[in-house]
Formats: sequence, C-alpha cells, structure tokens
Amino acid sequence: MAEEHAPQQPAPVAAASVPPASPSGPPSGAPAGPSGPPRFGGPGGPRPQGGRPGGPAKRGKRNFVRKKKVCRFCVDKADFIDYKRAEILAPFIQERGKILPRRMTGTCARHQRWLTVAIKRAQNIALLPFAAEL
Amino acid sequence: MEERLYDLIFILRPDTPEPEIDKVIATIEHAATEKGAKIEKTDKWGRRRMAYRVQRLREGFYVYMVVRSSHGEVVKELERRLKVADPVMKYLTVRLDEELKRQEKLKKHRERRAARRPRKSAPAAAGTPAAPTGGTEHAAATS
Repeated sequence: MAEEHAPQQPAPVAAASVPPASPSGPPSGAPAGPSGPPRFGGPGGPRPQGGRPGGPAKRGKRNFVRKKKVCRFCVDKADFIDYKRAEILAPFIQERGKILPRRMTGTCARHQRWLTVAIKRAQNIALLPFAAEL
Repeated sequence: MEERLYDLIFILRPDTPEPEIDKVIATIEHAATEKGAKIEKTDKWGRRRMAYRVQRLREGFYVYMVVRSSHGEVVKELERRLKVADPVMKYLTVRLDEELKRQEKLKKHRERRAARRPRKSAPAAAGTPAAPTGGTEHAAATS
C-alpha cells in the first residue's frame, strides 16, 4: 500500500521526478517497474471513481421497474377483516392453500396479522381450503 | 360481567330437509335463550360449496347466527348441542366483541385524526414556500 501511495502522490505533483524514483525501487524489471507502480496506483486511485460509475450501473440493472405494493386493507381503511367473506381473503392464499407472505402481497404488518387470523377461521368452517384437493 | 358477542356458524348436511333445518335452528335458539343469551341474528346462507370435503360431501347448508351473552357457559352448551345434532357436520364459534371494540377504537382514532388534519395542513403549506427560498439562497451563495 505504501508503495502504491508513494508513486501515485508525487506523480501529479512532478512527473519528471517519479521515473527515476520508481526504477530504483524494482531494478530487476526495468520496463515493468515504471509501468507497474502507476498501474497499481491507477486502480488504487480510480477505485472510488470506478465505484461511482459502477454503482449506478449495478443499480440500473437491478432496478427493473418495481411497482410499490400498497396494503390493500390500508387503502380500504379496514379496521376489521371479516373471516366470513371468503372472496376478499381468497387473493391472499396460494393455489395450494398457503397464506401468501407479506412480501408478495404488500400487506402491512398489522393487516397481515388480522388477515392470517381471518384466513384460519375461514379454513375451519370450510370457506377456504387448508390445502388444494387432488 | 360485560356482554360478549359471538359468531356461530354451523354447516348441516346438504340433504337435510327444510323442516329439519328449522328444527335445528329452533333448538339452538331455544337453548341459547334458556341460558340467558340473546340471538341477535339468524341467517340461512343456504347450500354452499365447501372448500374441502367434509364427511365426503362437497356441499353444505350454512347457518349463521350472532349470539350475545354475558357468560361463556352458553357457548359450551350450544357447541354441545351442535355436536349431538345429527345433521350438523361442522360448527364454529368466534368471539367477536373484542375485535369490534378494537374496530370502534380505530375508527374513532381515524376520525379524530381526520378532524385534526385541516389544521395540520395549514402550517405544512406555510412550510413549503419556505423551502424553495432556502434553495435560492444556496444557489446564490454558490454562484
């Protein structure tokens, strides 16, 4: 790290002074010597620069347009989820009968809690299935 | 003791004749009133397809009742009777008063907040013009 920093810092200040300094450091590889440190310095320096363009690019790739899910019960301002109305509970269960997680439906925590209870009650009175029938 | 509200749903065999359905409902109502409960509502949902097979049947005759009572003994008695009654395939009792109380509370809370909102929006509106002026100051400083 110290070697990388040493050539890099003087390089912008005085380019002429750096070439004699760097060959003296690694004498065995004269052509690799001068080119090596600047290159090492290059990645070291641009690292934050590279991060900046890289970051948005990655984000751009991951950010396929994701619709923000809104809790359907919050929209309706529901204070109570009725277990007797199977048709409003049905969208929140999988075809196999599992209760869909919050991350799939966007339901808020409070309503998911109520919803789970309502679905379980509905299952008990055969308004909703426990599992798909085969 | 405070009064409690229960939902009572039971499913009868779909082949039960109409008079028998009425008989079951009557016995339940009778048992409830005898124990000091009040039937607030009786609703015959009628034949309905069930989500899964119960006693190898796909359909059932749903009956829905709302019972108000001051002690839980009533539910015990009603469930015992439903268990004994032959045409009853399934039943479910749900205590609802606490949820209704919560619903009431939330409703009130929201109404109060809605009432407060107009007052809250006024300072917010006053605040928004202030923000752009701050921005212009910044721009002036940089230039």
